[in-house]
Amino acid sequence: MSRIVRQLSLFFASALFVGALVATAQAKERVKVGFIGPLTGGVSVNGIGGRNSAELAVKLRNADAKAKYEYELVVLDDECKPNVAVQVATKMAADKEIIAGATHYCSATAIATVDIYHKFGFPIIVWGAVLPDITYRSKYAEVHRVNGTMIDQNDANAELITKLGFKNVAVIHDTTDYGKGHNAYFSKSLAKLGGKIVGTFGVTADQQDFTAELTQIKSLNPEVVYFGGLTPIGVRVRSQMDKLGIKSVFDGTSGIVSEAFIQGLGPLAEGALAFREGASTEKLPGGKFFLEKYAAQKYDNPPEAYGAFSYAAMDLILDSIEKVGPDRKKVIEELANVRDRDSIIGKITFDDHGQNTVALITKYVVQDGKFVEWDDSEYATGRRKLPGQK
Amino acid sequence: MPEVKQEPQAPLLPGVVAVALSTAYLIALLAVEKQPLVIGLLAFGIVAVLVAHYMDWLDPVGRSFAEREGVLSAYAVLAACVVAAFFHDNHFVLLLFVTVLLYAVATLGLNIEFGYAGVLNFAGASFFGIGAYTSAVLNTYTAVPHLLVLLIGGTLAALIGSLLLLPVLRTRGHYAALVTIAFALLLKTFLEVNDVLGGPQGMQVKGMSILGWSFNDNFEIGKIEMSFYLNYFVISMLLLCGTFVLVRRLERSWIGLDLDAIRLDETAASCFGLDIARWKITAFVLGNFVIGLAGALFGMVGGFVAPNNYTFADSLIMVSILLLGGIGNPWGVVVATFIVVVLPEKLQTIQEYRFLLYALIVIVVLLFRPEGLLPRPVRRYFPGGRA
Repeated sequence: MSRIVRQLSLFFASALFVGALVATAQAKERVKVGFIGPLTGGVSVNGIGGRNSAELAVKLRNADAKAKYEYELVVLDDECKPNVAVQVATKMAADKEIIAGATHYCSATAIATVDIYHKFGFPIIVWGAVLPDITYRSKYAEVHRVNGTMIDQNDANAELITKLGFKNVAVIHDTTDYGKGHNAYFSKSLAKLGGKIVGTFGVTADQQDFTAELTQIKSLNPEVVYFGGLTPIGVRVRSQMDKLGIKSVFDGTSGIVSEAFIQGLGPLAEGALAFREGASTEKLPGGKFFLEKYAAQKYDNPPEAYGAFSYAAMDLILDSIEKVGPDRKKVIEELANVRDRDSIIGKITFDDHGQNTVALITKYVVQDGKFVEWDDSEYATGRRKLPGQK
Repeated sequence: MPEVKQEPQAPLLPGVVAVALSTAYLIALLAVEKQPLVIGLLAFGIVAVLVAHYMDWLDPVGRSFAEREGVLSAYAVLAACVVAAFFHDNHFVLLLFVTVLLYAVATLGLNIEFGYAGVLNFAGASFFGIGAYTSAVLNTYTAVPHLLVLLIGGTLAALIGSLLLLPVLRTRGHYAALVTIAFALLLKTFLEVNDVLGGPQGMQVKGMSILGWSFNDNFEIGKIEMSFYLNYFVISMLLLCGTFVLVRRLERSWIGLDLDAIRLDETAASCFGLDIARWKITAFVLGNFVIGLAGALFGMVGGFVAPNNYTFADSLIMVSILLLGGIGNPWGVVVATFIVVVLPEKLQTIQEYRFLLYALIVIVVLLFRPEGLLPRPVRRYFPGGRA
């Protein structure tokens, strides 16, 4: 009997000893996390900026003595092409050592791969793609997104004009995915706030003359003309509104936030509204911290517009793994519970589709030939007034 | 019957050894993930081929392939199955492998047009896309059996390609190339503005299922779990074998002879009574059919189609496979497809520089083998005998 006890204790002692040896030799367990973005091709600057930012998040975490695991970043290139994205997403999702990933800048690649992530039970956080369908087409527990969508942009838009006291809105949109999407989401969120769409007009993206639509709009006498489309026809619509004497507020989308819009219109651009997902990185809650750390790494490329989102996505993944351990299922459960989580892009709350609902939207108004953030403008302080504003 | 003088056949062994070695190499290359290992293995492969070349070890291999093609083809199929069996539960490697097989099928189609009849086609990816979109639409909205969908995909590619017949027949050389480039742009724009086809964001494709056997589910043989891509591997392999045999037979037949004559000299060929238009149409339609067939299956494998998958750049990739392998040689196509599809993927580890290295390798290959890796050999009029 005592022999068995002795043997057992010897066994446990040696097991402890070996365990301690392993622990000192390899201080922390290595955990792999992934990043996918366009590293080659036309939008590669954004992809490389995102890659560097995700890498930064991993480096900072590894430098943190309190971190439980040693992280290794696996980076794959989707070339902004859906067919390549399907390949690399399969590669990453099928590799069981990779626990979670911050994936995709291009909408076309993200929408093509969500089914794969679902199939393999691989938790991801989209860091740049804006198409609403990515999170809303299906209800996949694996898919999340930190950046905003067209929906958030239009929520912000409807909210602002309602707050300014406008009720009647006429909509002109182009018939591409972009214009149609904007029309749908804007109409929905305006209706929720009690506003009224007095007329909706779809136009082709290369239409020159809008007299027919605008004459009708004039007779409807809206306070606001909402425009869902890109700069070239935005310029035409706005100038033809002036010719017909329509005095309504011109309310645009992210598609008109460009120098060309102001150059094309001159003084007529004054008072036009526009909205865009995200914010300039300096304006983000943790923007200064992020830019300093980024600069310290001496990367060749700047983080670009979505770098901070990539950092935030990766940071959230690392947080979750720290909390529940390197297990895909537990990470998915943990991500479902993200509410009011502080990050460098502000608070993050995922809804039941994994979409961040406190997504950041920047509101713009054209003032003296420049797109000025609404809150910094003289319109917000009341020194200037939009046409028809009480 | 002409008397064929039977000479002793070339030995089988060099060919078998070559197949075995390349299989081992392929397995090793697909299995390694670490950056230094991948680069090392690639370098080793290049050096090994160079050494074999200078030691004159490649000639017996070529001879045994030329004279014992039937047997060695069977060995090659066996080798592919060994690779697939080795990676039976690795989804990604099998997906890559299936991609290689289907691109090889599509490029074989291009080979009929380009390599035999000399009809330039820079819209290969577009016909591939027509096939893929066919399976997307038919699988989503109809209950057409999926094997039939493949055939319809090929047929549609051939039919839509027929729109181009008149301009392709009336133009030659660079001008014919221009016609197909214009078609590629046209098709991409059409797909982008068309809402039923998903617009610029593309649409999902349901996976294949035949008689209730769903291709998108993992399955088990005995106790071993198999990747669902193994299903696709089997059907892609069948498709490749079928296409390969078709292309080989076509080349050997008098049709192949006519196509060669037309490519080499149209004037001379028509002087000998060959109907130029007829054979060009045959090659173009048949080639597009094969490309569409591969595309339809590839759509189901990838599960998603979007206009951006089928751009002019993708057509150029197909053409470059053909040029790299050696125009007109089906074996070259298969080898080059492996290089063009697998190499950029294995170079993922060097991230944004990977296409630099990849392009460099392609240029170097063409510098030393200007006619491609495996140039088309002289036609063998009496298979089994000496050329």
